[in-house]
Amino acid sequence: MAKEERKKDIIIIGGGVAGLTSALYAGRMNLSVLLLEAELVGGQIVNAYSIENYPGFASIQGDKLVETIQQQAESFGAVVDEFDKIIAVDFKAKPKIVETENFVYKTDAVIVASGMTRRKLALKEVDRYLGKGVHYCELCDGHMYQGKTIAVVGGGNAAVDAANFLMKYAKKLYVIHRDGAFNADEISQKRLRENPAAEVLFYTEIKELKGHPALASLLLYNNKTGEATELRTDALFVYIGLLPNTAMFKDLLKLDETGRIVAGEDCQTNIPGVFAAGDVRTKPIRQLTTAAADGTVAALLAEKYLQSLKEET
Amino acid sequence: MVKVYSIPNCPWCHKVKKYLEANHIEYTDFDIEADETARTECYRISGDLTVPITTIDGKSYVLSFDKPKLDALLGLQAS
Repeated sequence: MAKEERKKDIIIIGGGVAGLTSALYAGRMNLSVLLLEAELVGGQIVNAYSIENYPGFASIQGDKLVETIQQQAESFGAVVDEFDKIIAVDFKAKPKIVETENFVYKTDAVIVASGMTRRKLALKEVDRYLGKGVHYCELCDGHMYQGKTIAVVGGGNAAVDAANFLMKYAKKLYVIHRDGAFNADEISQKRLRENPAAEVLFYTEIKELKGHPALASLLLYNNKTGEATELRTDALFVYIGLLPNTAMFKDLLKLDETGRIVAGEDCQTNIPGVFAAGDVRTKPIRQLTTAAADGTVAALLAEKYLQSLKEET
Repeated sequence: MVKVYSIPNCPWCHKVKKYLEANHIEYTDFDIEADETARTECYRISGDLTVPITTIDGKSYVLSFDKPKLDALLGLQAS
């Protein structure tokens, strides 16, 4: 049986802050807006325990901020669907097509705000320990290690913030980073430094995961001294970088060498009527505020694009 | 009765519950951080404390948000 076809003014792919902001602006312009999210509405920040640098909020949990923006967008008529997965897109068709498991959506304007995905630990044995010591979500799984030894690998804000969060559970916490310094906010680093139960292992790489049936230790390598050691740990939380979610668009949109969509401050991609917003596009700074800014620009320019199409006919 | 074993602030737990609500399925939510009995039961069902766990009979269960498996467990029409 053929799928039902539905027409939308704007389809937004991705429900992080960029996508949600686009939905809010587009909704307020009385456009029919559909936002499709395959994983978690809120994207990267839904796991953020305490956001302290978003203007207007001294401190707010990531999921609460996301919930607020989503409710704002929905109050203006935007529809957020986090259960109907996209299976194919055709941005060269007129109108453009976004096919999901349940529907074929046709639209003249698309905003790609598909964000980033956590990079996985590149060790051949890692799958064996998934959920049995190796984790990617401190909010979800930190509780399993009350009073235990926890290791965190990574050197950016995600790793340091996760380490600070996990201190509420850990008897002892190690942060493992291959470089000699963190690339994280100083205030977060200070919190970590001042915690006596936390120990940082710089210039350190993980070479092997060991233990049966669950993770019990890590084989470590110090890339400055060449020393190899074994670290006993009950858990390893992984924050080693992000990859852009652009596989679906690689034959349609121009991507840079990192896989990000080439688009400037006007969020315009190489296809008229297709915009890229948030971390997924090429840009020097990636923050919540810049994601919200992109979402705004993309929605406003998408609306102008739709107007230009009407004027042509 | 559908049972969901979860913890607060777990985004995948929220997604499972939203999915049940969107499909008008009644469920009971068990917070395994606050409820020791629920924690023990969660471990008995799955051998682990990773959440969310969704179950009906306490034997077969679905870990996390796995839409095809949830649809099969709940008897929802496949999309």
